[in-house]
Amino acid sequence: MRRNRRDNYLIMGLMTLIALFFLLPFMWIVLTSLKPEAEVFSRALLSVTLHLDNYIKLFDKIPFLLYLRNSVFITLLSVIGVTLSSSLVGYAFGCMSWRGRDFLFYCVIATMMLPMQVTMIPVFVIFKELGWLNSFKPLTVPMFLGGGAFNIFLMRQFFMTVPSTLLDAARIDGCSEWSIYWKIVLPLAKPALATVAILTFMFTWNDFLGPLIYLSDKAKGTLALGLGQLAGQQQPEWAILMAASVLMMLPVIVLFFLFQKYFIQGFTMSGIKE
Amino acid sequence: MRSKLNKTVIGLIFGLLVVYLFLPSQKARERQVVRYWFVAGVKEDIPPCVPWFNAAQESIHVEGIAIPWNEHEKKVLTAILSGDPPDVVNLVTPVPKWAARKALVRLDSILVQDRLDTAQFFPSLWQEMKYRGHTYALPAYTGAFALFYNKRMLREAGLNPDQPPATWEDVHAYARKLLRRENGKISRMGFIPQYGNIETPLIIAFERGMQFVSERGDRVTLQSQPLIEALRWERDFFDLYSVDEVSAFMGGFGYGNQHGFIAEKVALFINDNSFIDQIEKYNPGLEYGVAMIPSPDDAPSVSAAGSWWLAIPRGAKNKRAAWTFMKYVVSHPVQLREAMSREETLFPVNRRAAHDPAFLALHPFMHIFSEQMEQTRSKSVTPLVHDIFWREFSLARERSLRGVMTPQRALAEAERSIQFSLQRALEYDHYVNARMKTEDFFD
Amino acid sequence: MKRAVKNTLRGYLFASPWIAGFVVLGLYPVVMSLYYSLCQYDVLRIPQFVGLRNYRELLFQDHYFYTAVWNTLFYTFIRSPLVIAGSLILALIVSKAVRGVKFFRTIYFIPSIISGVILSVLWLWLLNPEYGFINSALQFFGLPGPLWLIDPHWSKPAIILMSVWSLGGGRMLVFLAAIQNVPAHYYEAVEMDGGGWWAKFRNVTLPFISPVLFLWFILEVIFSLQVFVEAYVMTKGGPLNSTLFYNLYLYNKAFDDFDMGYASALAWLLFIIAGIITFIQFRVSNKWVYYSGGAEK
Repeated sequence: MRRNRRDNYLIMGLMTLIALFFLLPFMWIVLTSLKPEAEVFSRALLSVTLHLDNYIKLFDKIPFLLYLRNSVFITLLSVIGVTLSSSLVGYAFGCMSWRGRDFLFYCVIATMMLPMQVTMIPVFVIFKELGWLNSFKPLTVPMFLGGGAFNIFLMRQFFMTVPSTLLDAARIDGCSEWSIYWKIVLPLAKPALATVAILTFMFTWNDFLGPLIYLSDKAKGTLALGLGQLAGQQQPEWAILMAASVLMMLPVIVLFFLFQKYFIQGFTMSGIKE
Repeated sequence: MRSKLNKTVIGLIFGLLVVYLFLPSQKARERQVVRYWFVAGVKEDIPPCVPWFNAAQESIHVEGIAIPWNEHEKKVLTAILSGDPPDVVNLVTPVPKWAARKALVRLDSILVQDRLDTAQFFPSLWQEMKYRGHTYALPAYTGAFALFYNKRMLREAGLNPDQPPATWEDVHAYARKLLRRENGKISRMGFIPQYGNIETPLIIAFERGMQFVSERGDRVTLQSQPLIEALRWERDFFDLYSVDEVSAFMGGFGYGNQHGFIAEKVALFINDNSFIDQIEKYNPGLEYGVAMIPSPDDAPSVSAAGSWWLAIPRGAKNKRAAWTFMKYVVSHPVQLREAMSREETLFPVNRRAAHDPAFLALHPFMHIFSEQMEQTRSKSVTPLVHDIFWREFSLARERSLRGVMTPQRALAEAERSIQFSLQRALEYDHYVNARMKTEDFFD
Repeated sequence: MKRAVKNTLRGYLFASPWIAGFVVLGLYPVVMSLYYSLCQYDVLRIPQFVGLRNYRELLFQDHYFYTAVWNTLFYTFIRSPLVIAGSLILALIVSKAVRGVKFFRTIYFIPSIISGVILSVLWLWLLNPEYGFINSALQFFGLPGPLWLIDPHWSKPAIILMSVWSLGGGRMLVFLAAIQNVPAHYYEAVEMDGGGWWAKFRNVTLPFISPVLFLWFILEVIFSLQVFVEAYVMTKGGPLNSTLFYNLYLYNKAFDDFDMGYASALAWLLFIIAGIITFIQFRVSNKWVYYSGGAEK
């Protein structure tokens, strides 16, 4: 018992040390966002007076609330689409055996190896032919179509750790494949689903290139696009830029904190033993 | 009685409001809408010329849309591919780069029809709007370069504070005198050739009248005496210190008040006119002067220039209205008014505006920039392989500077590489020209 | 027999979202990029078929190609193990149910959500040789700080350092999720045998998370081979081309020079390189990856 306690202190100490390593650079962003523009590059870490102006000015620079609405809409749709479709496809690759499975799975992995710089233009042309330009469709619909090779691969690897005896037992009991997926495997995969959801959220939330290319209407802008706009000036107003990035990070941080309840021991909690 | 009056007043106000809400939108609907894309590069969200234009006439409404600097070329590229591009774009990458790829509408015929006075633009800037004898754009704004010098630092080093260096040899001599070390580290420098936006060796080569490309545009030359000497001149600075030493010193520079010149760490610096605004903002007490860019003993001073420009992308729907707006933006009065009303001074491309007493009165140094603008050469040397040229050029400079290669050898490598790409590009160009037409204004 | 057909149909049905997406959105770009790699093509004009010329020039005449390959392989083989080891250690630490662990997890996660542009501004500041945080810290311990991004010998390590810092948190999350899936009674068994933390890690955690670990060995290589943003924003490939990574070169060709044909050839060569490395990894994986599930039969 005592040894346990000592271990805990040790871990706490270690965690704090690492936390400093991660937190200090981040604090620079926060502190810079609280400086007046003229002092941004002075070496003093903190300005004499805390300066909230940058956050206020931000609302004049970009239509923050409108962009927020668009970002939230695109991100939510993406997260739903990716978690649903990648887990479904991942299940097919990880828990079912069928002819052609392995070949298709290697195709999934192969799609990640071709740099998007060269596929971007043909993809753009497809969306143009579909008449989807300047709408949210090119950004959201693909998310429902497997959600990308990365997420499928991730789900597949998780599903492969699900004990096969469990699945076979269910099959012998006459469970349909769908209900095994929906009722048995998905509840077990909560940590994996949460991971996919958070990573997707992060990616979509910060995606700059997608909205840039597909959205031309000012009213359809996203926060990442707005941030890119601020950063893209030849003489960026750094303080405002930092304020914008702090505001953009906040929702992700809060969400991550809340999502952690899904990071619990999957198997033991559901009382399944082999 | 009283409540009736109140009701009347409220009704009247409400009615006016409705009228107010309706009128402008109705008007706007009658107007032709011109979509104008510009890169968000300046403080104001929408350039003031847009609302002025909208107020000045009744038939066209210009809708200004800012696109971010990062990846803006991709944005324009895909917009053209989509077949529904904006009607006017405002870009800074060389016109020929886009024109050579048939991305812009040819303006020759409308120029002739409208009898647009092309002498109103600075000649080197006007030259940049052309590709193979055809015109594709109008220049919009530019930045004029000149030499900034710190009077206090010159005085402290025992130099005459009112006599900036006139030749490149002077620059060397000044730099020698201005160099100072503290605790074995450099603490002050006269001139750092690789610091800033302008390529000093290029300027020197321009001043010596170097031609980079053959008349027919199919042969590029870098290994010629003016440029080799320019690189040697640059290399000579490193007799006094090592590249690493200077890099460490430059590591202390930043933006704003940490800028090497503004923080009084470097005494001589070549920059454009907007630097005046920067100095005013971050170190208003700085004792400095502005002079013409130095030149070799036997040659006149020359600067390099590029400009922001306006053009109609291929496939644009409202060419006529777009043209009207473009002409408006580059006219003398608008250029003058815009240069004077911006927070950050953009230099007019219109010579009449740049020499207008009202513009020169903006700042006592302004006339120097205007004078220097008359002697500029275009940085668009090899349009078909523009970016390759500049990548190779900087690599050659870096190699020579760090002593990895002799100037001659470094330039030879660069030349070979550019020539190789140019050959490729030309072959493709021939192939395409036989099969694809460039859109004309009246198509 | 009939059962197998039914199973196969069901498999395709479950995988249908991806198949549909691939057919509609994936196939055409793949075919087109392959075709463009045999052309001179600048996106804005019509393509000109030139056969294998792009490949020939790349392999035999373009020395930047080899510079880019070398830089990228160096980066990939140093970064991948570092990121994986680092994030695995992080995940192990925060998998303990200590008080405040949620808070710490969140902090570790923060670097991975900083968007690209801000991240590079931050690191330009951190890596500044004169007043940057890192060199100031080194100086405090009496160590001389390198010039980082402006020194051709240190520029790659600098970018690797930044990658490890900014990616660790996101990868940690994946490993954490995997560790949470390890059945607790296995640990109890080791404890009963008197095994310590190392025995638990070696005999329980590692085998159980090996599929996810394998996943990251594959992905990390594929992702690092495509490193781009860091160099694009911070160094533009310099000094002396020391950070000219493969995808940066490809980007320069595709979007600065508008030479999409050449860029497509570059892309397909990268595809082959990545394919070979991944193939080897799959081959070796049989020796160390343990699937508790039954899909291997």
